[in-house]
Amino acid sequence: MQERNISSNNFEQCQKCSLCETVCPVMKNNPDYAGPKRSGPDGERYRLKNGIFFDDSLKYCLNCKRCEVACPSGVRIADLIQQARIDFSHKAPKLRDIMLASTDQMGPVAGAFAPIVNFTLGLSPVKGVLDFALGIDHRRTLPKYSSETFVHWFKKNAASKQASFRKQVSYFHGCYANYNYPQLGKDFVAVMNAFGFGVQLLENERCCGVAKIANGMIPAATRDAHANMEAFRKSVAQGLDIVTVSTTCTMTLMEEYPELLKVDNSDVKDHISLVEQFLYKAIASGAVKPVWKEGWKARAAYHCPCHQERLGLGIFTVELLKMIPGMQLTELDSNCCGIAGTYGFKKENFKVSQMIGKALFDDIAAAAPEFVACECETCKWQIEMSTGVPVKNPVSILAEALDLEKTSELNRA
Amino acid sequence: MMKFDVVIIGGGLAGMTAATELQKSGVRCAVVSEGLSLHNPSTREFKAAGGTLLNGDSVTGGEFEEGRLASVRTAKLGDVTLEAETFILATGKYFSKGIVADMDRVYEPLFGLDVQYDSDRSTWFDPSFAAPQRFLEFGVEVRDGKAVKDGEVIRNLYPIGEVVYGISSAQGDTTGQIRQSALDAVQAIRRI
Repeated sequence: MQERNISSNNFEQCQKCSLCETVCPVMKNNPDYAGPKRSGPDGERYRLKNGIFFDDSLKYCLNCKRCEVACPSGVRIADLIQQARIDFSHKAPKLRDIMLASTDQMGPVAGAFAPIVNFTLGLSPVKGVLDFALGIDHRRTLPKYSSETFVHWFKKNAASKQASFRKQVSYFHGCYANYNYPQLGKDFVAVMNAFGFGVQLLENERCCGVAKIANGMIPAATRDAHANMEAFRKSVAQGLDIVTVSTTCTMTLMEEYPELLKVDNSDVKDHISLVEQFLYKAIASGAVKPVWKEGWKARAAYHCPCHQERLGLGIFTVELLKMIPGMQLTELDSNCCGIAGTYGFKKENFKVSQMIGKALFDDIAAAAPEFVACECETCKWQIEMSTGVPVKNPVSILAEALDLEKTSELNRA
Repeated sequence: MMKFDVVIIGGGLAGMTAATELQKSGVRCAVVSEGLSLHNPSTREFKAAGGTLLNGDSVTGGEFEEGRLASVRTAKLGDVTLEAETFILATGKYFSKGIVADMDRVYEPLFGLDVQYDSDRSTWFDPSFAAPQRFLEFGVEVRDGKAVKDGEVIRNLYPIGEVVYGISSAQGDTTGQIRQSALDAVQAIRRI
C-alpha cells in the first residue's frame, strides 16, 4: 500500500481543478491577484523549497474562505495563504494597519470621546486627511463609536439580575458589540433572559484577534488568543457554555486559533456556539418556547456572511428566522460583500471591495426588502453604505419579533 | 434534530434537479451541498420555493433501522442530525468522492452501499488513453430505483446521477441520463 503523506492543511490533495478560482471574489476583480490555487497550494510547492518564491500579492487575499468551502478535496487554501504571509512577509505593519487592527486598544480611546470622534470622522476634510496621511479611503463611511460600552452598560444595568436565572451562559460579545453597537449586546441579553438564560461576562475578554491576523500582527493576536482561551476554560470549568454573536469572531476562535496561531482549543471548542445555533437547538428540542408578538410583520432578505458560510451554521439562522410567523424571508445568493473586515477600509482596496460587492448589492436591490438580516458587523457597514438598506442582526430581529414579557413568563419555570 | 420530507445528499446537477422539482410540488426538502453549489440558477429556484440549502456542509454517515435510512449526520451541524422519510443520494463519482477506488476495491464511502465493479482489477482500465474506460462505469447498485446494502434493499434511499452504476459523463454528454435518473426518483417519491 502507498504511504499517505498529508499535511494538516491538506495541500497535497489539490487536484488543480480550479473550482476555488470560480468562487474567489478577488480574482474576478483584481488582475494583480493570482487567485487561490496559485497563491495557495501551487505557490506552497515553491515556498517549501525556498522562501524567495513568496509573492507579495498574497496580501490581496480577503481571507473570506470561500475557496475552502468550494474545494472538493478539503484543502485549507486560505490558511495556506495566511500562513505564508505570517512566515514570509517581513514588512512591518503600517501605522494605519495597526490602528485598524487594534480594535480593543482603539475602542476605549475613541469611545471616551465618542461624540467628538463620530462627528469629526464624518467630516470630509478629516476624511481627506485620513485618506492622505493614513490610506483609509475617504469614500468609506467610518463605523461609529458608542460613548457607553456594552460592558459598562451591562455592569450598571443588567449584571445584578442575572443570578436569578437557573440556567447560565457566558457571552463573548466581541469588540463590535462593546465599542460600536452596544444595542446588539443589549438585545442579546434581553432575548437570552426571556428564554430563561442568565448571561455572564467572560473574565477579561479580549479581541478575538482576527484583524491583527489579517494585518500581520501575529504575536499580539496570539496573546489575545491565549487570554481568551484561559477565560473560556474558566467558564467551562464552572459549567457555563460560551455563546457568541459575531460569525467572524466565532470562525477565528474555532478555526484560526489552532490552524494559524497554533493555540489549541480542542478542550473548549464543543462548548462554544453561535447564538442562532444555540437558540435553534433550544427551541427545536422544546427546552424553551418562544411567544411571538401578535401582528409583527417584516419582509427581509438574508445575507450569509462568508465566515458563516465557512462555519456552515447559516442553516440555523435561516430556520430560526423562518419560525417567526410574520417573517417573509428571501435568501440571497451566496456572494461576498467585499469589505472583509479592515480590507475594504484601505485606500488601495476600496475600488475592488465595491466591485466584489456589486453582485450582492444588485441582488438586494432586486429583492427590495425592508431590511437585510445578517450576522456580521462588517457586512452590515458595507451593505448599509452601499445600498442604503438597513441591516439587522438576527438577534435584534428576535428581540423585536418576540413578545419578551410573555416569553419570559413562559420560560420562567 | 431537523426533520424534512426528503434530504438530498449532493447539490450537483442530479441533486438540484430532484430537489427543485420536489420542493416546487410542496415536498419539504433539504440539500446538503459540499462546496459552494455551482448551479446558482437552480439553487435560486430551490430556495425561492422554500427549500433548505446546507452550503459547504457534507454528510458524514447515517443511522439505518429496519431496512431504511433513518437519519444522517453532517460535518458542521455537530449533534444535530437530519431526519427524513426519504433520502436521495446524488454524490457523484470519483472526483466528488461519491465512490472511491482503492488498490483492490471500489466502495461507497458514506454508507457502505453495494457497488458494482469488476473483481479483476486488470479490466478496470484500458492503457489506451482515448479508449472507453471501464472504471468510469462503476457505481452503486440500484434495484427498483433504490440502493442496496449488504444485499438488502434500503427502501427509502434513492441513488441518482453519476453515483449510479452505468452513468458516467466522462464518456460523452450524459446530462440527459443524469436528469432522467433524477426525475425518475422524483416520480417514485411523489407516488409514496
